[in-house]
Amino acid sequence: MSLELTIAIIVTVVGASTPILIAALGELVVEKSGVLNLGVEGMMLVGAITGFVVAFTTGNHYLAILLAAAAGVATSMIFGFLTLSLSANQTATGLALTIFGTGFSALAGQGYSARPVTLLGPLFPAELATHPIWRVLFGYSALVYFSLAMVFAVWWFLKKSRAGLILRAVGENDLSAHSIGYSVIGVRYAAVAFGGAMAGIAGACFPLLLTPQWAERMTAGRGWIAVALVVFASWKPFRLLAGAYLFGLVMTMELYAKASGGPLSAIPAELWSAMPYLATVVVLVLISIRRDASTNAPACLGRPFLPSN
Amino acid sequence: MQFRLEKRPEPSRLMLYGTPVAAVVLTMFIGAIIFSLIGYDGIGAVREIFFTPLTNAFKWQDLGVKAAPLIIIGVGLSIAYRANVWNIGAEGQYIMGGLAAPWGALASHGAGGWWTLPAMMIAGVAGGAAYAAIPALLRTRLNVNEILTSLMLTYASVQLIYYLVRAPWKDPMGMGFPQTRRFASEALLPNIIPGTIVHAGVPIAIIVALVAWFIMTRSVFGYQMRVVGAAPHAARYGGFSENKTIWLALLVSGGLAGLAGMLEVAGPFQRMVPGFPTNYGFTAIIVAFLGRLNPLGVIFAGIVMAITFVGGEIAQTTIGLSNSATGVFQAMMLFFLLAGDILVRYRVRRVTPQVEARA
Amino acid sequence: MTLNRRSMLKAGVAAATLPLLGSKAFAQSEPLKVGFMLIGTVNDNGWNFGHAQGAKFMKEQLGDLVAEPTIVENVPEGPDCERVLRELAQSGHKLIFATSFGYGDYVIKVAEQFPDVTFEHATGYQRSANVATYNARFHEGRAVCGTIAGHMSQTGKAGYIGSFPIPEVVMGINAFVLAARKVNPDFTITPVYISTWNDPAKEADAARAMIDQGIDIIAQHTDGPAALQVAEERGIVGGFGQGADMSAFAPNAQLTSIIDHWGPHYVNSAQAVIDGTWETGDRWPGLKEGEVQIGPYGPKVPEDVVAAAEAVKNGQIDGSFNIFTGPINDHTGAEKVPAGVTLTDAELLSMDWYVEGVIPPA
Repeated sequence: MSLELTIAIIVTVVGASTPILIAALGELVVEKSGVLNLGVEGMMLVGAITGFVVAFTTGNHYLAILLAAAAGVATSMIFGFLTLSLSANQTATGLALTIFGTGFSALAGQGYSARPVTLLGPLFPAELATHPIWRVLFGYSALVYFSLAMVFAVWWFLKKSRAGLILRAVGENDLSAHSIGYSVIGVRYAAVAFGGAMAGIAGACFPLLLTPQWAERMTAGRGWIAVALVVFASWKPFRLLAGAYLFGLVMTMELYAKASGGPLSAIPAELWSAMPYLATVVVLVLISIRRDASTNAPACLGRPFLPSN
Repeated sequence: MQFRLEKRPEPSRLMLYGTPVAAVVLTMFIGAIIFSLIGYDGIGAVREIFFTPLTNAFKWQDLGVKAAPLIIIGVGLSIAYRANVWNIGAEGQYIMGGLAAPWGALASHGAGGWWTLPAMMIAGVAGGAAYAAIPALLRTRLNVNEILTSLMLTYASVQLIYYLVRAPWKDPMGMGFPQTRRFASEALLPNIIPGTIVHAGVPIAIIVALVAWFIMTRSVFGYQMRVVGAAPHAARYGGFSENKTIWLALLVSGGLAGLAGMLEVAGPFQRMVPGFPTNYGFTAIIVAFLGRLNPLGVIFAGIVMAITFVGGEIAQTTIGLSNSATGVFQAMMLFFLLAGDILVRYRVRRVTPQVEARA
Repeated sequence: MTLNRRSMLKAGVAAATLPLLGSKAFAQSEPLKVGFMLIGTVNDNGWNFGHAQGAKFMKEQLGDLVAEPTIVENVPEGPDCERVLRELAQSGHKLIFATSFGYGDYVIKVAEQFPDVTFEHATGYQRSANVATYNARFHEGRAVCGTIAGHMSQTGKAGYIGSFPIPEVVMGINAFVLAARKVNPDFTITPVYISTWNDPAKEADAARAMIDQGIDIIAQHTDGPAALQVAEERGIVGGFGQGADMSAFAPNAQLTSIIDHWGPHYVNSAQAVIDGTWETGDRWPGLKEGEVQIGPYGPKVPEDVVAAAEAVKNGQIDGSFNIFTGPINDHTGAEKVPAGVTLTDAELLSMDWYVEGVIPPA
């Protein structure tokens, strides 16, 4: 494979991976606090339509990203209020949130379909961004660098900061965190809001980074891939980064293999598509066999916090 | 404003039955207001979505057919959830049941007999249960979270359908379209009311729910499931095996999802198509909660969900309400229902912030 | 079947024997209610948008003779569509268009229960007394696009994004390549099937994957403008709009577009139902009837290429040129259609082989 093609593939993979990486980073923090929000796909769609409409009406991509994040937060607060304040079942509420996001974004997007926007351009000057070799490092838009920076930020937050320690404590043992005096519900609200913001930005990647248009359900299931990714990465930010690019590679290599007509194109498309999910199950099994406690799921994942009184 | 939740000594019966009704009423009320404000015929939307399916007798058959799979899957899930086993991969088990059944039907095409449908039914249940056995095995042996495994397996099963109908099972006479041939007549579910589309799956759904209700309330099995779910420690003292409960919960919920898959493929679909997964497995999770994890409640919850689906289509044809608006209505109703759930178990008291802080 | 007294009588009997199905009587003086059932939303910029435009055109042309058309969106191919069909029939729609292949079984089934309602099924092959099928000869438009591609491609390689390898898609690929190779005998095409009609991000990535591997012309048989937008972004020679004029998305890269213009067909069918002259059958009009149209040529297309494209278009309109006239070789180089022989419609509708110049997918 020529260097040029390799670079081209990397550039495409990075693009395809970025929204799932951003959404999964948000969900990772949510799950670390002990909450399972399955509404990622719905929040992403709300972010996608918000980002599109703002970019279309103002032409300002950064404002679009910001408001997409805000819309994601607003959507996530429905989930937060129901599951945290009212202790509703997280699984059912997350699914309902996806139904809501799908319907709401389609409703809000009526009349915006035959309209194009422009993609968010590369962050670096054109000499670097379009250089045949260096574009592999400098050819991306701000969203890509944001996603990479957030990997470090989330890692630092969880591992090094006091707030991150509290968040993990809440996710591991909510009752003792509560008895020490931390606000379990407050921490989880913050985590859910962060997850919403990241899902909103991830959604905005679709019209601003991948394909500059609005189409109903344009996230096409990638929110669920993000949920799988968090598990695949066993709740670790750097594994998440590697996993996102691996998933992106699997999703994209299918297309490159078919376009080349080479031997890889003989693998059925369906197997390519099923791979991220099957790999996630395998990783879950491997984690459990190693019984490495630190890689395991947060102990309180998906359970409501109900201090008995 | 701060809320404080006070556990009720006993679940409130009034709230148990009252909150679902209140949620539906609230959805109609607020939905009508919101949709009127954003320029739709809000009152018309509520009328078409929630009332027309009930007042128009022609629509009852649709409600039955749409509700049947939701009820069957929802009953299985409510049993599992009672035991604190979180199978959210019913969609995948439904698909595997739907795939196991035609496997036989296609192989024996034209050579079947009276035994074809019962055999398909067994294959469907076995297919769903076998697929649920994977999370069960991983949970009991390796302590892998079943929420995650069952969900991942669902997405893999969707791809299996695509593969089968595109390649090995493709209809030779189907003009190259990705779908299987139509099943032979002995592999098709009979209609039970002539002149309608009501198939045998509808009474089966009711029977499944009634049997499940009886077992859950009257048998040792049901008692075991409920005890393990509500008080795992006590259950261990009582000699109930937690692992056995996990296995039973997943096999029962998976098997029923597989049964629903078989009934759908042999009833309304009559062949396997890529569009077979229609989210019944996910919607049934909501149905299970809506029905308060009670098999009898699930019957009503399944019908309510069916009303919104059928009503949503009526609203499209009669007042031109878009398909997405129906989704918003459904989500709103679910939000209210889930919110109301807490009133069954808790009283909500308003308190001053000082009392709550760092309590 | 015509709507005479006899069939009305039949409908009455049917209604009596099927009490739960119902059938409202209708008077000829009322405007005809026409229903459309779509697989996606009218906002997809492609297939479904085209049918919605056709519905609008019908209403504009026929005025008070027809009621405001009813459009039901996002109807899955399965039992749900049966319910929608019945809903439309029961609510007094006397002419119903089902616009996706997977509706076929259910159209036939519901049509039996409503003998006084006329059904038309797009892209299907099952017919009955009150069910006709219709489609458009998009491959004629593909031949025009292929001609432009043959002239303009510098690498001699084009990419083609398909949804599923069904005959309609295969037919389009073959027509495109046959036309391109009449200009450039070394022209090749790589089809990539993405197993979905609408996942714009995947379409865009497929376009990127093909452009990275040396194609400079792209065509697609999926519903949106995503691939064209990538062509615009990458600055390759260009691509073609599918279903509708997509120049808003790719003002430079769109060389031309194939426009679905279902309107005239919908007008004819509605008029025939009103007049009582409707008959079942298979309707497959193309460029000649105006059902398939070639959109404006893009700014990049030089005049001589426009002339060549127009010649292919006009040849198909006046019947002097047919892209599927032999000699045609299959992708292995073996002769499939002898010189002077033209493939029949039936052969086209079951086409499952690729012509020479297509690098067949595994």
